[in-house]
Amino acid sequence: MIILISLTTVLFAAGQREIKPDPVRTVTWWHPNSGLAGQATQAMVQAFNSTVGVEKNIRVEAVYQGKANDVLTKAKAILQSDSRRDLPDLAQLDGAAVLDIRDVDALIPMEDLALSDGYDLDAILEAARLSVTYKDKMIAMPFNSSTILLYYNKTAFDQGGIARAPRTLDELAVTAQALVQKDARGNVIRSGFANVPTTYELIAWLGQQNHLSYITDQENGHAGNPTRVLFHENGTMVNFLTKWKALYDTGALENLTSDRNGAFASGRTAMIVASTSNLTTILSMVGDRFEVGVANFPMVDEHATGGVNVGGGAIWAFDNGSGNRDAAWEFVKFASSGEQQLAWHIATGYFPIHRDTYSLPAFEEHIAKNPLFKVAIDQLMQSNPQLQGIWVPSAYQIYYAFQTGILKMLTENRSPEETSRALEAEINGYFAEYLRMQGQ
Amino acid sequence: MKSLKAILATILSLIIVFPIAYSLSASFFSWADFTAIPARLLPSQPTFENYIRAFRETNLEQFLLNSLITASLGMMLRMTISITAAYTFTFFNFKGRDILFILIVATMLLPSDTLLLANYTTIRALRLTDTYLGIISTSLLAPAHIFMLRQYFKTVSGEYREAAIIEGCSDTRFLTLLLIPISKAVVVTLAIHSFSTIFNDYLWPLLVTNKASMRTIQVGLTMLGFSENFDYGPQFAAITVLMTPVLVAFILMHKPIQESVSTRFTGR
Amino acid sequence: MNRHWKHSLKPYLLILPALFLAGLFAYRPFVITLLNSLYTVSINGQRIAFVGLDNFRRLFVNESFQTSLSNTLRFTLYFVPVNVFICLSAALLSHREGKLATLNQICFFLPMAVGLSSAMMILKMIFNPFIGIVNQLLGISVEWFNNPNAAMALLVIAGVYLDIGIKFLLLHAALRNIPANLVEVATLEGANPLQLFKYLQLPLIAPTLVFVLATNIKDAMLISSPVLILTEGGPFRSTQTLVYQMYLEGFKSGNYAMGSAIATVVFFLTFLLLLALLQIERRRVYYQ
Repeated sequence: MIILISLTTVLFAAGQREIKPDPVRTVTWWHPNSGLAGQATQAMVQAFNSTVGVEKNIRVEAVYQGKANDVLTKAKAILQSDSRRDLPDLAQLDGAAVLDIRDVDALIPMEDLALSDGYDLDAILEAARLSVTYKDKMIAMPFNSSTILLYYNKTAFDQGGIARAPRTLDELAVTAQALVQKDARGNVIRSGFANVPTTYELIAWLGQQNHLSYITDQENGHAGNPTRVLFHENGTMVNFLTKWKALYDTGALENLTSDRNGAFASGRTAMIVASTSNLTTILSMVGDRFEVGVANFPMVDEHATGGVNVGGGAIWAFDNGSGNRDAAWEFVKFASSGEQQLAWHIATGYFPIHRDTYSLPAFEEHIAKNPLFKVAIDQLMQSNPQLQGIWVPSAYQIYYAFQTGILKMLTENRSPEETSRALEAEINGYFAEYLRMQGQ
Repeated sequence: MKSLKAILATILSLIIVFPIAYSLSASFFSWADFTAIPARLLPSQPTFENYIRAFRETNLEQFLLNSLITASLGMMLRMTISITAAYTFTFFNFKGRDILFILIVATMLLPSDTLLLANYTTIRALRLTDTYLGIISTSLLAPAHIFMLRQYFKTVSGEYREAAIIEGCSDTRFLTLLLIPISKAVVVTLAIHSFSTIFNDYLWPLLVTNKASMRTIQVGLTMLGFSENFDYGPQFAAITVLMTPVLVAFILMHKPIQESVSTRFTGR
Repeated sequence: MNRHWKHSLKPYLLILPALFLAGLFAYRPFVITLLNSLYTVSINGQRIAFVGLDNFRRLFVNESFQTSLSNTLRFTLYFVPVNVFICLSAALLSHREGKLATLNQICFFLPMAVGLSSAMMILKMIFNPFIGIVNQLLGISVEWFNNPNAAMALLVIAGVYLDIGIKFLLLHAALRNIPANLVEVATLEGANPLQLFKYLQLPLIAPTLVFVLATNIKDAMLISSPVLILTEGGPFRSTQTLVYQMYLEGFKSGNYAMGSAIATVVFFLTFLLLLALLQIERRRVYYQ
């Protein structure tokens, strides 16, 4: 009797999967967009479902899976277990995900989907397109594209009589110093600039030097698996670290790793560098405490003219045996279209990846009323489109390696040369580990 | 002396209770209340908006349902397995009984957290990811409970069972109609413990579920996405919704709870 | 004849589920973990080549691992005494009669009603350095998530909060189990509270204390969920613990060999620590 009950419950439990009676084709889209971006996501999905979706009998289901890294973890888990049918049709992933997704059988390169529909790939901004190009093929669709910006407390600038935002790291050091505020006991209540460089900032700070410098071989991983880093031998890391150390020595730099947006928004620091995608969030967090200004990402030195790279994420398509390729492509086409990218941009601050957006009158209007949004766009247009993010294994560990290495340099007074070499060794180690796991 | 103890105890208890009380209050804060200076302990204008948003913008009910189902199912299965095993080890004499008993209880020494990766690959291979069974699978064996139950059952004289068998009573009937009612206190305590262990599990359900629809509340709570940008209200609301029934139950049943915790099993 | 077989087979059948589960989810994964730590393992979980202790050799020189090890040991060192102190204090201080005492007691085990995630999310929000209520109320500006020491302290606080409910109940019960007449006699003999504690209560609740210590040590060595939710190993890996790194390497990076190696290390370390504790107990604890 007990056995019967147990068996029934076991079977019941095993059988509990999501069952949805569906006459329409349901396209699942995993994404990491929360907060304002999350709301914009819902809006976009709803717009699609009620227009193109109705026409073509497609329904998109957007599923929030946590942070970008979590979306990858989930996808990876399924890919490894070979249960393709559990894969989503579309997944929004960031650069750290590429190495794990790039070569899987289940991936449908976006270029294939686009070309079979007669889509003009040139309609996508070159820098954005290159950011998802591997061995000359566009394997995903740029979606939430961002670049890195300098955010500053304009009210504090005005109070301090600072006329314009710093252009180089040297200028940054000077400006930051002028913005430090201390209380009666000499404790810093507002630092000039808060940051500990991670992969994200370093891609730009290293890559922009000499108009273009590679951080790893194989074109930063876009032409094949990276086998070693180049930032030590080409001197870019040492150059950057030297400037950074100088900045730290002024006492105006705060080594803040978590919640920089919060620190900036609450007035705890006067300047930060952050993604353009944080623009709307930061504006809403700041409220009316002070006026926010944005400016170009500071250059390492006068030769560092490469600008910035396109970061953020892209939408990847998977073959999960559901036959939804075309339906999924319809949504991708929709999401990357001129108008939708405008709506997405206005709601989040990610910049539009489709050329058409820029000629829309609504766009001009929006920019005119919100000049802050224009800065990121101008910065990107001035950048070298060949400056691309790095596609590396163990992205997580490398991120921490940079952070910890730089922190050690500052707090333990190591030399830039030493730090650069140590980072080279550690990261090359991760590459070697990865190649070993591939059986090489 | 007594009053010193009382004062200290009260201070400590207030500190302990503070986060809970604050959550309750904060669930009614408006956005501005969180960033107000000086900091607020009570909402300026209590609003239900956070609750509405928490339910409307997330899959909260689904998460709760998943947790309730997995915890109940898991508890039932776990108790069935544990009681059956303990019963068998107590009242039956078979070859290898003691070795097998030690084998089962010795698994207590293998903390499941160190076995996460291997268990995960197992579940993956069995295609049990994103299923309720997958979620409760690693919690079905409770060596500590089997041990405790056997200790308890041993106090019941074997003669009762022999007499019952002679009277034609089957094992099942003896177990369900006699033994369990006698051991009600222990069984209930262990059942509650099973339920809450599975209900509170975080890392394992996180690994084993990919679909949002299968998430348990513990995992879901951390993925609501509200706390990224100072949007604490709905987060506190969700937490409060989860906390309150249990809090109320605990407060109302504080006497039986305190009494159910016996130190018999820890050595006295 | 048939019935005889059925009869003697019965106990085995009855314990089969338990044995099966023990094998499938405890012993087999344990062996696999040990094996994986001795092999190179592909990203799909297949063992490729036997490398003996090479994984461990590389693990021990890995700076990230050394950090995890140090962090976990330090956390255990901080957490166990602090937790035992707080839980024991809670039990002792509320060991009185009266409505207020009951209220105190309820407050002390109430955290048990708050699930792990809820508790961690609450702590995450109230300890936010910028708008969190803790900094505001206490008038301080501790960078809870950016200062390694503060982050470690926060982890300890989180650990205590998760544990105080059940440990208080256990210690409270243990105290109550001390025969009242013994206490009366002692007080009549002129013992002050400190002596009462040292010579009467402590020895008599020692078995429970040992249990508390043992589980605390095990929980501390294995801590992962608070790290995952609160600090994510930061700042600068200062709160990265062994199991958390195992999760990162094994689950996120797909490096099963390294993840298994870490798991093996954790297992043996914890085992040793508990063994040491048992030795101490054997020599100094009184059982009734």
